[in-house]
Amino acid sequence: MKARIFEIKRFAVHDGDGIRTTVFFKGCHLKCVWCHNPEGIPSTPQLAYYKNKCIGCGECVTVCPQNAHRIENGMHVFEREKCIGCGKCTDVCLGDALIFYGREMTVSELLPLLLEDKEFYENSGGGVTLSGGECLMHADFCAELLKELKANGVHTAVDTCGFVSKAAIDKVMPYTDIFLYDLKSFDEDIHIKCTGQSNKIILENLKYIDDCGKKTEIRIPYVPGFNSGEIEKIAKFTKDLEHLTLVRVLPYHNYAGSKYESLEMENNLPKQLPTDEEIRIAEMHFADR
Amino acid sequence: MEYIKPQDYEYIMRKYHDPKIVNGNRMIRKDDIFDPSTGMDGDLIRSEILRRDKEFEHLPHPVRKAKAFEFVLKNTRISCTPLDLFPAINSIDRPVNGTLTDLWSSEVFTEIIPEVAKKRAYYEDAGIVTMWPDYDHSVPVWDRIFELGFSGLLNESEKARKKRPLTDDEDAFFEGIKITYTAIIDLVLRLAELAKNTAGSEKLAKALGNIAHNAPKTFYEALLVDYLYFMLSEHIEGLQVRSLSNFDRLLYPFYENDIQNGITEDELRTDLAYFFLQFTAIGNYWNQPVFLGGCKENDETEINELSYVFLDVYDKMNIYNPKIQIKVADSTPKDFILKALDMIRHGNNSIVFVSDSTMRKALVRAGATEEEARLCNVKGCYEYSIQGSMSCGMNYLNLLKPLEYALHEGCDGVTGEFAGRKSPKISEYTTFEDFYAEYKNQLCYIIDTAIETVNAYEDYLAYINPQSMLSATYPACLEKGIDALGGGATKNGSSLAPGFIGDLADSLAMIKKYVYDKKEVTLSEFVAMLDANYDGNELFRRKLVADRDKYGNNKELPDSFAKDIASFIAAYVCGRPNSKKRGGKWNCSFHVARMSYDQGELTAASPNGRLRGEELSKNCSSSMGQNREGATAAILSITKIDASEFTGDAALDLGLLPSAVKGDDGLEAMYGLLMTFINRGGHAMHINVFDADTLRDAQKNPDKYQDLQIRVCGWNVRWNNIDKVEQDGFIRQAESLV
Repeated sequence: MKARIFEIKRFAVHDGDGIRTTVFFKGCHLKCVWCHNPEGIPSTPQLAYYKNKCIGCGECVTVCPQNAHRIENGMHVFEREKCIGCGKCTDVCLGDALIFYGREMTVSELLPLLLEDKEFYENSGGGVTLSGGECLMHADFCAELLKELKANGVHTAVDTCGFVSKAAIDKVMPYTDIFLYDLKSFDEDIHIKCTGQSNKIILENLKYIDDCGKKTEIRIPYVPGFNSGEIEKIAKFTKDLEHLTLVRVLPYHNYAGSKYESLEMENNLPKQLPTDEEIRIAEMHFADR
Repeated sequence: MEYIKPQDYEYIMRKYHDPKIVNGNRMIRKDDIFDPSTGMDGDLIRSEILRRDKEFEHLPHPVRKAKAFEFVLKNTRISCTPLDLFPAINSIDRPVNGTLTDLWSSEVFTEIIPEVAKKRAYYEDAGIVTMWPDYDHSVPVWDRIFELGFSGLLNESEKARKKRPLTDDEDAFFEGIKITYTAIIDLVLRLAELAKNTAGSEKLAKALGNIAHNAPKTFYEALLVDYLYFMLSEHIEGLQVRSLSNFDRLLYPFYENDIQNGITEDELRTDLAYFFLQFTAIGNYWNQPVFLGGCKENDETEINELSYVFLDVYDKMNIYNPKIQIKVADSTPKDFILKALDMIRHGNNSIVFVSDSTMRKALVRAGATEEEARLCNVKGCYEYSIQGSMSCGMNYLNLLKPLEYALHEGCDGVTGEFAGRKSPKISEYTTFEDFYAEYKNQLCYIIDTAIETVNAYEDYLAYINPQSMLSATYPACLEKGIDALGGGATKNGSSLAPGFIGDLADSLAMIKKYVYDKKEVTLSEFVAMLDANYDGNELFRRKLVADRDKYGNNKELPDSFAKDIASFIAAYVCGRPNSKKRGGKWNCSFHVARMSYDQGELTAASPNGRLRGEELSKNCSSSMGQNREGATAAILSITKIDASEFTGDAALDLGLLPSAVKGDDGLEAMYGLLMTFINRGGHAMHINVFDADTLRDAQKNPDKYQDLQIRVCGWNVRWNNIDKVEQDGFIRQAESLV
């Protein structure tokens, strides 16, 4: 069994407790307008090309089986339509200008990488977080990976948007210590407007996880003009959750702009950033959490 | 500034240096701070020392030096003012060194051992090994200073003097101490008299009166003793005081007693703040160290109420000098460490954490008792040694030079001069092992030469610069009647500090990989590229830089070289005898101070893609911009080196992004990094929290960043006070953070 991974981030500090390694899986059913990991949306592998880092060395030209790269007048030209996403060019790129998102990996390939920082997890109350994209689109793979991690005594977190089947959640739940649950909106229409999908399943799944007695941490991206009016309603909804450990309000940022460009994906990122004061007020709704 | 009145702050910051002078280390103040009626000016003092010394030429050096010291203390200008809790002493320009010591030093190096001097100069100028007669790495036995006071130290010395019949040299040793400490007591009395006649200085007058003939009894008196010892040793007698003591362990009894006697915590905090500000104002570039923590006999922590007060006052003052080391043990309270980490992440990062258990393990391994190891001093940047020991010689060895020699038949890669031993032609290295063995041969050759050179001149350290102040605090010196620099101390070590393990490990890894494993280039082709500074081979150089097999990323290939070389050097050096007179042993340290720049400039292009003259890696850290797997991998790599083989120190410089350390999560993560580092046997860790954008902005808009401080290599400097090359280096480091 394999899954497409677009990043393995060590020393991840804000993806659950302690020092963690976070594994980012490819593919997501939602299309949030503010998405800061656009490479996580498509399930297919993608090549990112950061023009400003390219030194024009031409190493990529020599290994590309599709002739997608060429050097013209000393300048690198990349034809994305020819790219089959094999990732060979990213191994030889000398300027870190080509990045491959979506390497296929097996559990046994991933495991040793994730155990490398085990001592740090132990000394900081950390562990491994599965994220994405939507990692639970690969529920079987995740379950197997989480099972191995638990067998090695590692604390596990699953970061999900919740737009998955109950069956997917059931598969990973026994080996998951905490769910990091992204909640964008309580109002269905707003949710559809922001993400392209209804939030009905999402709210149901959250309630279901809580009923099963599993810990959750809720994470709310705060995007002015989109879901900023939803905070109070979310606060009300989450009040009854018995196993909720923490609610984090994550201020929207637009750092992902260059990623969209490097992937030649359409960038519709909202322009308006939240103020510190807005975040402070939003957080007050969850002061008791 | 919190605790310090504005007009007082202004006075103290001008007290030692003319504010117009940027690098005023040890420069004497010549203007209006001192009343001329209180003494002579600095120039006259120096000329008088030399004139008067003519009469004393028949006397042994300790006595001659003590007489000069006495003359300075009698005649230096002094000042007391209600604006300050500490007195001012004008002669901070090392007048005794500038006269007698310089004379004796030049006699030794030009007349007695000129060949040794030549070798030493050649090694330094060529960037091979920087050796110097080191008067910069000792700490007095503060336990005795606080327990006995100046007069008590004098009495103890006189007692030891009368214990048995003495040789002339031994008697001169004690006579030096007698003159020196009598002069100190007289100076304290002179200061007390001046304070008495200065309205508003009653507190100072009273305390000085008490400490002239007694041990300190209050917290403030203890601070005064600490300050005066520092001023007189560091600035007049001429020996750096590389710690202001295990502050919380030794000063807490005074603090506690004062509180019981009804002195308010506010007053004690104020005393402490004025004490700190002296060192901020003196502003020595390398910062003034002081350390906290450690363990009691039953392994309970030495962290006490004063430790917290110390950090709190320091933090509120937003200063970086003095600098702080914290001895971290299992029993060190977590909240104390978190407080220090919090200070670091908000920019107040003049703090190093050192592992109590690693230091103890290393010292016991080197022959110290458990008790000596437990009470060891942390000094300088992160160095350590047992109390009452005299470690001299921080001799900085450039690990890249043997590589140049092994690749050039013994010749320097920059100048082409024959400087090593004769190596075979590179075509004769048929396997990597052949080449690696020759690297080690060249390394041993340099080590042997350095040790031989240092041993030859360290015999003369006490002749050049006898240390009466320090020796009086060392019980072993009193017992033997021998100066601390002449072999009188409990341990009399010398230290070799191999530098740039990061660049070396990466270079070896690249040679192995591209020449012997992948066979992409021949060794001759590679050497030709190095000789041309990669000119015309930029692509290959980029490949080397981009290659991920670099030390600091938990990769087997480079890390195994770092570990092997470190162990090899430790085994080759540790325990070897140093100079005959000193009768001590060699050990190893793993820090580079400014050598990354100074020796880097003199070092040829290296096989890891580094260009000629570029900065080299710091301490035990990865080479420039190469820690691409982040903080955890850096720690996994460095802790493969057995830090307990390096009885001097072994330091990791960690860079962290502000985004990674924000919030409670960030603080816990920093704690997790530190604890894993220590649990894995690491020794010292210090941290820069920065991001490249901020540093770039600071380079463009210095006015906006007056407060920005940067940790250089065991000390802090204001960002605006480092040159552009160094700033660029930090920006590159910040750019590589993940």
